[in-house]
Amino acid sequence: MSVIATPARQSTGGISARTVNRIVVYGLLALFALFYLMPLFVMLVTSFKTMDEIQNGNMLALPQAPTFEPWLKAWGETCVGLTCAGIKGYFWNSIKMVVPAVLISTLLGAINGYVLTKWRFRGHTVVFGLMLFACFIPFQSVLLPMATILGSLGRFGVTLRNATGFSFGLGNPTVNLVFVHVVYGLGFTTLFFRNYYEAFPTELVKAAQVDGASFFQIFRRIMLPNSMPIFVVTVIYQFTNIWNDFLFASAYAGTGDAMPMTVALNNVVNTSTGVVEYNVNMAAAMIAALPTLLVYVVAGRYFVRGLMAGAVKG
Amino acid sequence: MAFLEIDGLRKRFGSVEILKGIDLDLEKGGFLVLVGPSGCGKSTLLNTIAGLETITEGEIRVDGRTINDLHPSKRDIAMVFQSYALYPNMTVAGNIAFGMEMRGVPAQERQKAIDKVAKVLQIGHLLQRKPSQLSGGQRQRVAMGRALVRDPKLFLFDEPLSNLDAKLRVDMRIEIKRLHATTGTTIVYVTHDQIEAMTLATKIAVMRDGEVQQFGTPAEIYNNPTNLFVADFMGSPAMNLIPATIDGNGNALSVVLQREAREPISLRLADAPTGLSAFHSKPIIFGVRPEALTDPEGAERNASNIATADCHIEVVEPAGSDTFAVTNLGGKAVVARLRADANIQPGTVTPLAFNLTKAVFFDPATENRIV
Amino acid sequence: MTTVATQIKLTPEHNARPRASVRSRLQDALPKIVLAPSFAITIVFVYGFILWTVYLSFTNSKTFPSYAISGPRAYQRLWRWTFESDPPSSWYTSITNMGIFGFLYIFICLALGLFLAILLDQKIRGEGMLRPIYLYPMALSFIVTGVAWKWFLDPGLGLEQTLHQWGWTSFHFDWIKNKDFVIYTVVIAGVWQASGFIMAMFLAGLRGIDGEIMKAAQIDGATTFQLYRRIVIPLLRPVFLSAFIVLAHLAIKSYDLVVALTSGGPGGSAWLPSNFMYEYTFKRNEMAVGSASAVIMLMTITAIIVPYLYSELRERPR
Repeated sequence: MSVIATPARQSTGGISARTVNRIVVYGLLALFALFYLMPLFVMLVTSFKTMDEIQNGNMLALPQAPTFEPWLKAWGETCVGLTCAGIKGYFWNSIKMVVPAVLISTLLGAINGYVLTKWRFRGHTVVFGLMLFACFIPFQSVLLPMATILGSLGRFGVTLRNATGFSFGLGNPTVNLVFVHVVYGLGFTTLFFRNYYEAFPTELVKAAQVDGASFFQIFRRIMLPNSMPIFVVTVIYQFTNIWNDFLFASAYAGTGDAMPMTVALNNVVNTSTGVVEYNVNMAAAMIAALPTLLVYVVAGRYFVRGLMAGAVKG
Repeated sequence: MAFLEIDGLRKRFGSVEILKGIDLDLEKGGFLVLVGPSGCGKSTLLNTIAGLETITEGEIRVDGRTINDLHPSKRDIAMVFQSYALYPNMTVAGNIAFGMEMRGVPAQERQKAIDKVAKVLQIGHLLQRKPSQLSGGQRQRVAMGRALVRDPKLFLFDEPLSNLDAKLRVDMRIEIKRLHATTGTTIVYVTHDQIEAMTLATKIAVMRDGEVQQFGTPAEIYNNPTNLFVADFMGSPAMNLIPATIDGNGNALSVVLQREAREPISLRLADAPTGLSAFHSKPIIFGVRPEALTDPEGAERNASNIATADCHIEVVEPAGSDTFAVTNLGGKAVVARLRADANIQPGTVTPLAFNLTKAVFFDPATENRIV
Repeated sequence: MTTVATQIKLTPEHNARPRASVRSRLQDALPKIVLAPSFAITIVFVYGFILWTVYLSFTNSKTFPSYAISGPRAYQRLWRWTFESDPPSSWYTSITNMGIFGFLYIFICLALGLFLAILLDQKIRGEGMLRPIYLYPMALSFIVTGVAWKWFLDPGLGLEQTLHQWGWTSFHFDWIKNKDFVIYTVVIAGVWQASGFIMAMFLAGLRGIDGEIMKAAQIDGATTFQLYRRIVIPLLRPVFLSAFIVLAHLAIKSYDLVVALTSGGPGGSAWLPSNFMYEYTFKRNEMAVGSASAVIMLMTITAIIVPYLYSELRERPR
C-alpha cells in the first residue's frame, strides 16, 4: 500500500515518484485482471480448437482454425453417462427447474417481507431470525431427511398414479428440486424483501389504509409496483444460486434423465470411457456458464447488490 | 356535545404505557394542535384517532359516533402525512383518486372530484406527473388534495410542514390557515413546532410523556402556563425561569433574585397570587417572558405593576426587529427583549423594567404553577 | 398496526356485532395466515430435519435409516479417526484439509480483496471495466470453476506444458495430482472465485467512508500509508466481519469445487468434511457417521453465525 500516490516531493531523474506510483498501480491492476481472465480465456479458446491442436499446441494460443464442432458436439452428441445425446436435454432440465423455483421463492419472499415489516406482530424478530438462520446451515445437515421424504413422496406418487392415473408431480425429480430450492431459498428471498421493505416508508401503507385499501390491495397496488429493483436483485440471486447448485442436484437427481446442467457437466468431464475430448468439455462448461454470465453482463449491478445484501444483513 | 371527543384514552405496548389517559374535545370547525417534544405520544394519539393504531382503553367519538373499532377507511377522516406518503408509482391524479377507487366510485365521478380539488389547490397542471417530478411544496399540495377530495368530517395532519424549508413552511402555514378558514373543516394537527401551534390552533394540547400537560386556547397556554414544562416549551425565545425566593409579608410580598457579586434584586409584587404567601422565604421559580423584561421606555404603558432594577448586561444580540439583551439573575442567563434601536452596550449596567403583571410563579418541587 | 391482539371486547357494543367481529378478526389475522406456510416450511424442513439428522447420528444406520438409538458410536468413531494420522483416516484428511483450506482461503481472500479495493480506490481510469473482470467468477458455478482450473492446472496440458513450450523446461507444477498438495489447488480456485466479491465489499466500504475524515487526516500530516493503516482499515472493521462471515460460511459449505476440480483428489486426499459427509452417507453406506459429520459441520457454522445474526438483529430495536 506504500505504492499509492504521494505528492511528488522528490522528482528524481525526470520521472516523478507520482508517475512511478501510477505505473505500479496500473501494472498490478492489469496483472490481476489477467489472473481473473485467464481461466475463462483458456476455456473459451480451447472450446474452439480441434483435439489435434490441443495436444500439440499451446494452451494460451488462439485457435488456428476455429471450429464450432466442439460446441455442437457438446450440445447434441456428447455422452453423459451412457446416453450420448449431448447436454441440451439437461440444459432444459435446469431451465424447467430454475424458472418455477425462482418465481415461487421470490413471490413468497416478497409477501413474507411485507408481513414482517408492515404488519408486525409480537415475535416477528424471532420468526425472521429462524428463517434467516436457515440460509446459513450447511445443507448436509438436511440432505438425508429430505432424501427420505422425497423417496416416500415418490412412492406415494406411484400409488396415486396407479389409482388415479396421475401422480401430481410427486416423485418427479424436477418437481422435487423445485420444491427443495423454494424451501431453502426462502430465507434469502425473505431477507432481501424484508430489508428492502424495512426502508420502504410505512406512511404509504398507512395512507393506503386510510384510503381503504385491504391487505392484499396494499401489497399489489402500493408495494409491488415500487419493488422493481429488489425483484431484479432477488430473481438474479436466486437464478444464479439455483442454476449453479450441485449438491441438491446430485443428491436428488444425480442419475437419469432429469439431471440438471451442473450434474451433467460434471459427468461429461469426469467420464472415464474413451478419449477425453477437452474441447467438448470446455464447450460444455461454457454452455453451463453462459446463462449466469449473461445475466452478469446484462445486470451486473443488480447481481452485486444481491451478493452484498446476502452478506450484509440487518 | 363536542364534535371530537376523546375520553380516558390509554395505549400500551406490552408494559410500556405510551398514552396515559388522554381527555380532549374539539368543537366543529375547530383546529386542535397537539404539540410536544418528540416521543411525547402526539403522533401515536393522532394515529389512534385515524385508526392506524389500536387503543387499549378509552373511547374516541366523532360527531357522537364511537369510532374505536372502525377501520381507518370507515372513520370518515383524511390524513396528511409528514412525508406526504404519495404513492410513487401513481400520477398525481391517481394519488388523489386512489381512495375513491378503493371505495368503488365510478371513473367519471372521480374525475370530477379531482378537477374540483385541483382547482382549489391550483395543481391542475400537475395532475399527470409522478410525485418524484414534484417539488416539496407541490407534493405538500397534492397530499392536501388527496385529503380534501374525501370531504371528510375530520382532517388529520401529522407534522405536514417539517420537511419543508423555512420560507416554504411559512407560506404553507398560511395556506393551511386559509384553507381552514374557507372550508370550515375540523382539523387535528400534530407538530413539535410551537410557533405552528400558536399561529394555527384554536385549541392547543401540550403533551409530554403520554400525558396532556395543558389544554386550552393559544392565549391561555401562552399567558397562563400551568407548569414549568409548558412555560418552557411554548414561546420563542423561551420564558426566563429564574430561581428566586419570596420575601415580605401579608399583601406586601416581593420576589428576590440573587446576583453574582452584586446585592440581590428585590421586586415588589402588587397583586401576587394568593398561593404565593405560603412560599415565604422558600425557593420558587420566577417566570417572566423576554417581552415582559425590557428597557423602561419600551415597557407596556398600561401595565399595572412594573418594577425596575439595574442589571449588568453581558451579551447583546441585535436580531433586526428586536434587540435581545442577556443578563444573569439567580445563576441563569436571562433574556430581555428591547426595541430594535435601543441604545444598549454589553458590559454596562442598565435599568430593566419587569412587567410583573405578566409574571408567573412555579413551585420547584411540583413544577406546578402557584396560583 | 391493526394486528395487535389488544382489540378484544372492551366495550359492550363490540360484543353486539358478532358478524363484523368475525370478519374483522379474520382481517387482523390475515398477515399471520399469509406468513404461516413459509414459517411452517422452515420449521419442518430446516429445524425438523436438523433434529432428524441429529437423531440419525445416534443410531447405527448403514445403507438405510434405522431408528433404534444406539448411542454416540458414530461420534466415538469420528473422535478416534480425528487422531488417526498415519496412515490418515478420511476424517483426519477432511478436517486437516478444512483447516488448511479454511485458513488460507479466508486469509488470502481478505488480503487480496482489500489490496485490490485499495488499488481500485486510487481514482483509477477504467475502474468500470476492471471491477466486473475481478468479480465475474462469482457468477460461475463451482463446477464450471472446477472444470476450468482442472484444465488450467493439468500438468500434461495446462500451465506446466505451456511454460515448457516457452522454454522453461524445468518448471514443474503437478499439485493437482499430488496428494499432499491437491488441497492447495482448491485454495487457488476458491480464491480466484471469491476474492473479487470480497474486493467489491471492501470497495463499497471504502466508498462509504466520510471524505472529511480523510481530509482531516491529510491536514494532520498523515502519509498515504498511515492514512490507510491508522484511519481507513480500522474504519473497515464491520466489512472485515461481514466478509469473514461470508467466507467462513462458503468455506464450510464447499463441496462442489472439490468434486469438480479434483474428483476428491488421489485417494480422497482433497476431501473436505462436506465431501466426507456425502461419501459416507450415500456411497459408503455409513449413514450414522455421515449424519454425525453433518452435525459437526452445522455446529461449527452455528458457532460463527448465531452470535453474528444475534447482534445484527439486536442492533435495530422494534
